[in-house]
Amino acid sequence: MRDNGDMSFLDRVVITNAKTVSQTSTGLGIGAGETWPGELALKLRPKIASYFGKQFTKGVILVVGTNGKTTTTLMIKKILEANGNRVVHNATGANLLNGIVSSCIRQTDWKGNLNADYGLFEVDENSFPIVLKYITPKRIVILNLFRDQLDRYGEVDVIIEKWQRVLEDLPMQTEVMLNSDDPSVVYFGKLVKGKVTYFGLNDPKEYLKIAEHATDSTFCPQCGARLTYEGIYYSHIGIWHCEKCNLKRPIPDVYTFPKVLDGLYNQYNTLAAVALSKSLGIKESLIKQALTSFVPAFGRQEEIVVDYPTSPADGGIRGAKRKVKLFLSKNPTGFNASLRTIIELGAKNVFLVLNDRIPDGRDVSWIWDVDFEMLPKHMRTIVSGDRIYDMALRLKYADVKIHVESDLEVGVRRAIVALPTQETLYILATYSAMLDVRKILTGKRIG
Amino acid sequence: MNRLDLRIAWLYPDLMSTYGDRGNVIVLQKRCLWRGIDAEIVPIILETANSALSNCDLIFMGGAQDRQQKLAGDDFLHRKGPVVKKMVEDGVPALFVCAAYQFVGNYYLPYQGEKIKGAGIFDLYTEHPGDQGKRLIGNVVAEIISDQLSACLPARQVVSYQTDKTIIGFENHGGYTYLGPSMKPLAKVIKGNGNNGKDGFEGAVYKNSIGSYFHGPLLPKNPMIADWLIAKALDKKYGKKIALNPLDDTLADNARNAIMKRLRI
Repeated sequence: MRDNGDMSFLDRVVITNAKTVSQTSTGLGIGAGETWPGELALKLRPKIASYFGKQFTKGVILVVGTNGKTTTTLMIKKILEANGNRVVHNATGANLLNGIVSSCIRQTDWKGNLNADYGLFEVDENSFPIVLKYITPKRIVILNLFRDQLDRYGEVDVIIEKWQRVLEDLPMQTEVMLNSDDPSVVYFGKLVKGKVTYFGLNDPKEYLKIAEHATDSTFCPQCGARLTYEGIYYSHIGIWHCEKCNLKRPIPDVYTFPKVLDGLYNQYNTLAAVALSKSLGIKESLIKQALTSFVPAFGRQEEIVVDYPTSPADGGIRGAKRKVKLFLSKNPTGFNASLRTIIELGAKNVFLVLNDRIPDGRDVSWIWDVDFEMLPKHMRTIVSGDRIYDMALRLKYADVKIHVESDLEVGVRRAIVALPTQETLYILATYSAMLDVRKILTGKRIG
Repeated sequence: MNRLDLRIAWLYPDLMSTYGDRGNVIVLQKRCLWRGIDAEIVPIILETANSALSNCDLIFMGGAQDRQQKLAGDDFLHRKGPVVKKMVEDGVPALFVCAAYQFVGNYYLPYQGEKIKGAGIFDLYTEHPGDQGKRLIGNVVAEIISDQLSACLPARQVVSYQTDKTIIGFENHGGYTYLGPSMKPLAKVIKGNGNNGKDGFEGAVYKNSIGSYFHGPLLPKNPMIADWLIAKALDKKYGKKIALNPLDDTLADNARNAIMKRLRI
């Protein structure tokens, strides 16, 4: 019989009620990413998270970092499931404690039992220390740390300090998978008691010719001196060492795997998922098999085929299917990575959508840290979103010629209709903008 | 006549560059280049000699995170600050934003601990209001009231509710800044907080130099301030008034207007 931890009768009542809330809201079509069953359960029984944390027969895996959490988590889920595990994971956008608890509630039976092997959760930067108060994970994957929306997350350094404090307190049993090419992530490895596995790239062909602007951590996390780089892959990710205190990039344990998704940043996500899976004893052949048919997560290089008629001038022909690829791009490093990837893919049409709602961050200053100057002259560039003119102004100063579409829906449709049949429309959008775009393209709201 | 050129010093681009500071430098450079004025950006890092700095015609310094601020702060206070002070006194135009705005003052009083000495270039000081004081975050609308700037602003086509003195930015600061008697505020706040959320002023002007909390960044949406700095730099360098060709700033007008509408002004 499963060990129920310290679940009381009251816990069961709370879970059951929250479950009702969850099913009702799902039934009403309020959305998949809703977090209030968890919110409700946490209000009534704050320790419910720690009860859930103990219920997984094989333990909890947490995935943290500024960029790549959703894709990495989804890859791990695929691999674990292919290996016969029952996995509970949190949906996109539900990566605070209430989202984690909600995803558990949804999976419980009516007695409050989870019946799952692994809890696999991506965790928001600010929530990571809070989650660790309730849950002692079996594994933690730390992907990277970049500057994100200042008004939402505060300074990167503040997050690093908070994480250092909680990572020190973890027991021996918690193993961590760290990005060897991100200096501040490597420094976390010095603080934990458990085993550390590093993943990173050994590929000088991929070094950047010129450093990107959106760079944060070029100073040593141990002594504060300026770091020396043999090569930079992107942002501050690369082959680094400190001449003053001799801290250096560790040789990665996991450094090669066949490409699953385009873009160097996705190679890191893949290596992280592989490192984690191997640490759980899963064979490489099975990992490869699980990832061969990988379908990207919502808005992460997600491909949508639309079937709009061509413009009336072209005869309004139906059945002309066109490809749209969605790249969620919500901070300077992520945006640069998206731009580089679509340029490598030979993109000719790019649609940029900038919003400043709460999930996007209210402050759009960060667009000045994105290297839009890399956009080739022939690229047809369209802008839209709540902060359309801020984006237009940024591109003007990058000498990029633009088309302004003040109505997102009209703009997206027009861009698709204008698309030559063989070409793809690449849409780069901030979080809430991506939700809007998906709704326009699929008629459904997700997240 | 030889081609005009300006050297723009960017202080600590690797330490003091957060959240769009680069936008200010891009705007200064591009607005020169678009007018046929050469403009070189001179990165001034910890290791740069003072002579490279004093050779420049315009200065920019931006915001920083705490850790980086300590590294840059030491260097600024003891090495580059005195050079910048002399240049500002001589009339070289400068723009100091966020952390730099606090740095150039007399001191910063943190919530806990002792006063941190500033470079004393601007007569102002900054205090942290304590753990109960609110951090001032959000879009800000203000009207330029500095006589020096007002006198030089070009007449522009006024779009909807804007006057030709309207400026817009985004602020995000924990410290509250108070100006001394020799300082003039840059602008009067219409919506938002500004220097300290109390006296209704934003920024400061001293000689040809400006300090501001708008990290939005300041110059892209407020190009008249960029042009004022460029004009002052040319005047100083060439010893005569040089008229700047007007540029098409419709997108900046529209970007300001969108915020004005949002804030219901």
